[in-house]
Amino acid sequence: MEQWLTANLSRRTLLRRAGGGALSLSLAGFLAACGGGGGGGGAQTKVIPKGKIADRLNFSNWPYYIDESVLKDFERKYGAKVKYTEEINDNDEFFGKVRPQLERGSSGGRDLFAVTDWMSGRMIRLGYVQKLDKSALPNVQKNLLPSLSHPGYDKNRDYSAPWQGILAGIIYRKDKVGEPKSVNDIFDPKLKGKVTMLTEMRDTVGLTMLGMGKDPATGSLDDALAAVDKIDKANRDGQIRRFTGNDYGKDITKGDSWLIYGWSGDAVQLQPNNPNVKFFFPPEGFTFSTDNMQIPVGAPHAYTAEVFMNYVYDPEVQAKIAAEVQFVTPVTGVKEVLQKTDPKLAENELIFPSDELLKRSYIFRDLPPDEEQELDNRFQEVIGA
Amino acid sequence: MPRLPRRAVPYLLLAPGLLWLAFFFALPLYFMGRVSLEQGSIYEGFHFAWDFGNYTDVLSRYDAQLVRSFYYAGVATVLALMIGYPLAYAIATRGGKWRTALLLLVVLPSLTTYLVRTLAWQTILDDASPTVDVLKFLGLAPEDRVLATTGAVIAGITYNFLPFMILPLYASLERLDKSMLEAAYDLYASRRKAFLRVTLPLSAPGIVAGCLLTFIPAAGDFVNAQLLGSSRQYMIGNVIQSRFLVLTDYPAAAALSVLLMAAILAMIVIWVRLAGSEALIGAEAK
Repeated sequence: MEQWLTANLSRRTLLRRAGGGALSLSLAGFLAACGGGGGGGGAQTKVIPKGKIADRLNFSNWPYYIDESVLKDFERKYGAKVKYTEEINDNDEFFGKVRPQLERGSSGGRDLFAVTDWMSGRMIRLGYVQKLDKSALPNVQKNLLPSLSHPGYDKNRDYSAPWQGILAGIIYRKDKVGEPKSVNDIFDPKLKGKVTMLTEMRDTVGLTMLGMGKDPATGSLDDALAAVDKIDKANRDGQIRRFTGNDYGKDITKGDSWLIYGWSGDAVQLQPNNPNVKFFFPPEGFTFSTDNMQIPVGAPHAYTAEVFMNYVYDPEVQAKIAAEVQFVTPVTGVKEVLQKTDPKLAENELIFPSDELLKRSYIFRDLPPDEEQELDNRFQEVIGA
Repeated sequence: MPRLPRRAVPYLLLAPGLLWLAFFFALPLYFMGRVSLEQGSIYEGFHFAWDFGNYTDVLSRYDAQLVRSFYYAGVATVLALMIGYPLAYAIATRGGKWRTALLLLVVLPSLTTYLVRTLAWQTILDDASPTVDVLKFLGLAPEDRVLATTGAVIAGITYNFLPFMILPLYASLERLDKSMLEAAYDLYASRRKAFLRVTLPLSAPGIVAGCLLTFIPAAGDFVNAQLLGSSRQYMIGNVIQSRFLVLTDYPAAAALSVLLMAAILAMIVIWVRLAGSEALIGAEAK
């Protein structure tokens, strides 16, 4: 039973759809609301001081998102036992859970967590994460992919370091729909009721914008809202079967959906279940985002967390993670390591997209709070809430 | 030892229950009511403002989901009654020595969590499943699929809350005084008439209780709509969940929760008025 349950759940899911989890969390959200809170503490400026390496480290991350041997190796090398908690199933849910603590300056014991770009930006804006000491992070300085070094929400990576990169594009069933041609295939009336989109607003809206010839990295709020309207209409027409987290895995392997918006790493992970599941890079482009490690305020072992960040930016270490999770690695030099150990994997475009391919990738623009709220509201209304 | 004043004793005996109610019912309710009148966002912080606009705002925006919730819950309650009554009747009157075992079978699925059972329906009803082929053949799947349709959501709700209907029905049917029926037959009542004039009225408390126990959680349910439906089937519970967790719009979510509670309460009052309060407590209280 357990196997059946976990088989199709990868990184983003587990409790995404499991309402029970959400239910218990809504209490947390509710209490958060009761806390009132001043909000808007603003970015912290004090850098994490160097210290001694503690005997433990608490790392909160998404499910199925690491090779656990890396944690053991870290413990062996530095003597800090890593308590690795797979507690993040959804950026918003996680935020609802930790916000009340962070608002009081406590991290709830967490030293490190990984959240997606826009949530990282929100954490920084609210002053919930600590400024990193770059001199403690030589590997990050040296090996972080240049293209990821200056995101809009954290221009110099003062508060964050990417954990893994995620491409969002089209996942399709080769045996059912053949080769897709465009990101707009998702609106093809022939596929009515056989397509799904993501509840992750930036990916779904971003991909739809690309199909409309707009650039999600620079497009205006109106462009984004027009995309939401298009999605709304398709949904009302019954074109879109439903909106999913990455619980889409089951739908597409079983054939409930044939062509969907989905994440690259999942396509790789689903292929053993059904070799007809393929990932397609739309010619119009596709969205790219990263989950980013951040150290929350009040983290009991902040310096140790930095040491860990630095550790996973060692290409040898990162190669293990990349081989396991198969998302886009943010660390240079990993390909060279894998060429020696697993040459086939080193050629995988989903883990190591070529520069040419990355030219077609778009990172959704960093939205100011009022625009974010308006777009979020409208999008949630469309997807049913 | 000082003697307690006589009048204090009942209150002292009630104290644990009252404290429980105060902490786990009254206090959360107070907070929710308070939050529902707040203004602000996570960036500015929330502050109390007597903002009744939250209520009119959510009412105008989510009237569709509210109506849908009560519609789904109502249909599911009626279906559960239609399925549950004959079943409870059969177990109570014809169960014989198998009664306990049969009742156990009714409750048994509940030993697996609600969530897993609903997820299992996803597999049973997926597009390529034989179940769906049969339903299509019978003309019961007009959209050529079952998942992500209204039918699937209502069926899911009915299935999940059926035991809550059956158990009170069974309880009232099982303790039905057989001599009443014998008297009816002695007075030349037909079987049908005896059922309508004796059994049905005497099982009214079970019907009322079963309907309430089914309708109330069903109206606030969001799991079935999320797992078996699509955004076109989302109920008020889904909206509350997303307002709380995704949009961190606590005031709107709290206002919706209060509204849902008030609406359900109003319906119960009307229902009980119509059915008579003794029906709720049990006919024997008379």
